[in-house]
Amino acid sequence: MRDAYIVTSVRTPGCRRARGAMKDTRPEDLLSFILKAAMDKTENLEMGDVDDVMIGCAFPEAEQGLNIGRIVTQLAGFPAEVSGATVNRFCSSGLEAIALSALRVMAGWSDVTIAGGVESMTFVPMAGNIVRPHPEYTKEHPDLYISMGITAENVANRYGISREAQDEFACHSHKKAGKARDKQLFTEIVPTPATRHVQQKDGTYKKETFIVDSDDGIRADTTMEILAKLKPVFAAGGSVTAGNSSQTTDGAAVSVIMSEEKVRELGIKPVAKFRCYTTVGCKADEMGVGPRYAIPKLMKLAGMDIKDIDLFEINEAFASQALYCQRELGMDKDKVNIHGGAIALGHPLGCTGAKLCATLLANMKERGVKYGVESMCIGGGMGAAALFEMCG
Amino acid sequence: MVRKIRKAAVIGSGVMGGGIAGLLAGTGIKTLLLDIVPFDLKDDEKKDPAHRNRIVKAGMDAVTKSKPPLLMDKKDLDLITVGNLEDDFDKLAECDWIVEVVVENLKIKQELLKKLEKIRKETAIVSTNTSGIPLKKMSDGLGTEFRQHFLGTHFFNPARYMRLFEIIPGEETLPEILEFMADFGERKLGKGIVRAKDTPNFVGNRIGIQGIVKAMQLMIEDGLTIPEVDALFGPVMGRPKTAMFKTCDLVGLDIMAHVSQNTYNMVPDDEQREAFVIPEFVSRMIEKKLLGKKAGAGFYKTEKPKDKVIRKVIHPETFEYSEYEKPAFPCLAKAKKEKGLPAKMKAVVYGDDKGAGFAWKVMANSLIYAANRIPEISDAVVEIDNAMKWGYNFEMGPFETWDAIGVKASVEKMEQDGFDVPENVRKMIEAGHTSFYKTENGKVFFYDFESGDYKEIVVSDNIISLNILRRVDKVAKTCGSASLIDLGDDVFCCEFHAKMNAINKEIVEFMADGIDYVDANAAGLVIGNQAGGMPGAFSAGGDLFYMGSLAQLGRFSEIDAFLKMAQEVVQKARYSSFPVVAAPYGLTLGGGCEVCLGAADKIVAHAELYMGLVEIGVGLLPAGSGCLNLWKKFVNSVPESVTGYDLGKFFIPVFMNIAMAKVSTSAADARALGFLGPNDRIVFNRDHLIGEAKKDVLKMVDEGYAPPVRRKVKVLGESAQGMINAELFNMLQGKFVSEYDVFLAKRIAYVIGGGDARDGSEINEDVILKLEREAFVDFWKQEKTHDRVEHMLKKGKPLRN
Repeated sequence: MRDAYIVTSVRTPGCRRARGAMKDTRPEDLLSFILKAAMDKTENLEMGDVDDVMIGCAFPEAEQGLNIGRIVTQLAGFPAEVSGATVNRFCSSGLEAIALSALRVMAGWSDVTIAGGVESMTFVPMAGNIVRPHPEYTKEHPDLYISMGITAENVANRYGISREAQDEFACHSHKKAGKARDKQLFTEIVPTPATRHVQQKDGTYKKETFIVDSDDGIRADTTMEILAKLKPVFAAGGSVTAGNSSQTTDGAAVSVIMSEEKVRELGIKPVAKFRCYTTVGCKADEMGVGPRYAIPKLMKLAGMDIKDIDLFEINEAFASQALYCQRELGMDKDKVNIHGGAIALGHPLGCTGAKLCATLLANMKERGVKYGVESMCIGGGMGAAALFEMCG
Repeated sequence: MVRKIRKAAVIGSGVMGGGIAGLLAGTGIKTLLLDIVPFDLKDDEKKDPAHRNRIVKAGMDAVTKSKPPLLMDKKDLDLITVGNLEDDFDKLAECDWIVEVVVENLKIKQELLKKLEKIRKETAIVSTNTSGIPLKKMSDGLGTEFRQHFLGTHFFNPARYMRLFEIIPGEETLPEILEFMADFGERKLGKGIVRAKDTPNFVGNRIGIQGIVKAMQLMIEDGLTIPEVDALFGPVMGRPKTAMFKTCDLVGLDIMAHVSQNTYNMVPDDEQREAFVIPEFVSRMIEKKLLGKKAGAGFYKTEKPKDKVIRKVIHPETFEYSEYEKPAFPCLAKAKKEKGLPAKMKAVVYGDDKGAGFAWKVMANSLIYAANRIPEISDAVVEIDNAMKWGYNFEMGPFETWDAIGVKASVEKMEQDGFDVPENVRKMIEAGHTSFYKTENGKVFFYDFESGDYKEIVVSDNIISLNILRRVDKVAKTCGSASLIDLGDDVFCCEFHAKMNAINKEIVEFMADGIDYVDANAAGLVIGNQAGGMPGAFSAGGDLFYMGSLAQLGRFSEIDAFLKMAQEVVQKARYSSFPVVAAPYGLTLGGGCEVCLGAADKIVAHAELYMGLVEIGVGLLPAGSGCLNLWKKFVNSVPESVTGYDLGKFFIPVFMNIAMAKVSTSAADARALGFLGPNDRIVFNRDHLIGEAKKDVLKMVDEGYAPPVRRKVKVLGESAQGMINAELFNMLQGKFVSEYDVFLAKRIAYVIGGGDARDGSEINEDVILKLEREAFVDFWKQEKTHDRVEHMLKKGKPLRN
């Protein structure tokens, strides 16, 4: 098999659902912009060179429905010949799209692909607009439709993750993110035009565009005391709160993937090699443990040891599951989510897999390290993990 | 000119001012609420509007958070604009009515009125909510035009709930203004109007406080205990459960003492002036800050160690609190056996034990005091009676009480016991009149001391009294639990009069016949009643005891047959050839709610409406067509041309209303919950309710009423089960619900969804009705349902098991 190189990896800021800066910006606009931004950042690449665009989305319906992968590729100005697809593996959709696209390159079926993810949780709520669990299956297996918050409670209860530990983790996530933002270390962000509906003097509304250049959910001034005051939301007497859960967020992210030949032809300096990707199932009612199984599986696949990995991006769906995975895998916490995670930066579901890829590569570049692993937990009970190797 | 109140202003944002603003907003009037700029602003705060409005903002926050809620709907806040008396004073020029509720200080009120005189628009009415300061002094030196538009409008606290609204003319108030405010208060605010005079503390508080303080004095003289006094002057005398001392705890001892002292100061010639001097031990309590409920301790104190509730009472000498026994007097035991309030009262005041002796003295004293206040504080006995009923929640005012215990007999006893019987009462008896009230040909008359003759009580045309109609043979049919009453104009009223108006077998059978009767003899039907009480019960549910006993005996087919009959009656009313309007008020729960939702073409509801399908609390579900009709109320509100919408969005609130036993906190809230639809109407005056409902019946008749066509109902089908199974799993995992809640709720989802029908299919109404009955019968087979029912019947509270 050939090598697949990531040559560009960018994201929009992540902004809070319904209250954040991108609440009036349709997901198509976020995605279209970031696709064009990725093209602009990739020297010598023409739109016509791209073979296919795959976009992860966890709730591909309504504004982000039909086939947003195809629709937005066309909206962004790619020629009709450039095909597009939507990929869904819930929270790992963005990473899944990158893996599938990389595989196309590795198989020799494509030379240039673009892969990424988009989710406007403002426009399409978590679980989608219409929820229809199966009437019979839900009698026997309601856990397949379980609320993510309950899975976080289960992880906390079953594996002894205390409220205090969760709050401390959350607090730390915000502090790290705040520091990184202030030092302008989120180099993977492309300042993104956003829309707002502004009421005019005569009462009518006018759409205006403005630029958003940073994540708006970071609360760097939060404290353990503030977090301790929050009430558990998913279970009476539980430990999972809005403060130690990931934020619901709007965002989009994409990466450009190329074969070695194409890299040479265009004279591009690639960022990283996409080495391998794996997924694994686990119990649906504790889906957050996914990375704990996916990462070892990935290591085995790559023939490596977890100690060889220099940086991790483990999605912080909830502090309880992130802490659990970190603990079980014996990870050095200074290597994990060095600029904070989804608790501070947000978790735009289907986009997050692609978003964390961009963040991981930026962080690896900053630290000058070789191996990075991204891992996701996935609703329904799964884990996914991918291995990246920086180009020298 | 047709006078209107487009915009009102309330000045003073304390609990009373805030409460008035909340009430006005609840009726849909834009209201400006102003208070002073704080005196203690720091320099940097002096220009900041947020700081300048700090007092009014705090007042508004108290209104928003108050319990029981002063607002009928949080959205009402949108109608209230707050401001301060310096920056926003000019806005008062836009207001049609300005009511001042500022601190009870003559000088402050005078200065405010002086400023208001300058700003008010030509037609604006200005009123004071003072409870003690003479209007005459307040408006002294102001111009004629102002004084013509100035009056007293005295609300009682809390403004939303207390019915009494005293209207007090100033020396020059135009009759037109008094008329307008009386009508506005009655129709728009739903209040009971009492026309008072500009005398200290007007009517309600003058009589009320005298009664309480005098009773305190006599208690000490006679050596009774506080709980004994409360037992004698509670429900057995038609007084609220809080009786005397608990009422004081609620009001606040300091407030009570203030009003009392104020009256004492201003009534030097009152023959019972000394009855306004509070006993020494009460003054000591006030010094010790034992002010009542707001202080956590007053005459009574409730301790709550862990799950227990311990009630204690103060000892007037030691000021120590101790537990107490339920007082027992032979007169109380006798009264308990008597039927009807007059007989109970007689048993108490004419008894011969210590308690009875005390009760008689207190009662005789207060009746005499009330009679001596005419014409000083009011010209008519009926005004004084109304003030006590509406302002103090007495079931009978002093003169009605006097009639109830027998005027002649009581006056004889008064004379024997050395009381000074008032001259006016003595003359009345001498002239051969032995009651203050009498009914003739459906009209009620009261005895007018001045003319020495009876005068008709004139009430608004809109008020229909079922009791009066009953007395003049307007009852077409009747049984123990319900009656069919002729309201005139070919409209009948189906009146429930069972205990808490719970829907029982007798009512169901009666309604079936009643519908036939109305069909044959009338143009339309109102379903309404006028059971007393606060808040009163249109119908508090279904007859649990009856169904429980059938279930105990395993007679499930009879439960099914009863439900079937109930459902058929509701459907029969709904599809009858004549219009039906339901007029609910107060508690409208379970079966009562089902009747309104199902039988009526339109609901005309009182603003104080506590409506809900609460059956799950006793382990049951609405099975008298409630599931069907609440669902229909939601889903049939969609225009036919709208297709392909998500029925799940309609299903969830319907399911939540039933599965969480949601009860509205007002009629406005009932509309928000979906129990009332856009076609239903809210009326603020409870006495107008039947009359307003009748108007709607007649309007429908006039417009050529055609009954609704029985059509199939669109349902969510089996998708409902999937949605609810998945969500209940989460709730159960989160320990928000019990296993049994889940069991019940799943079945309820099954029923509302129309069973195993396909998502979006249209099914016969009868299918849902059948599912309701089957689920209901199955629930009665569950031990835990029996436990829930038993708990409710014994303790009056739902059990979570």
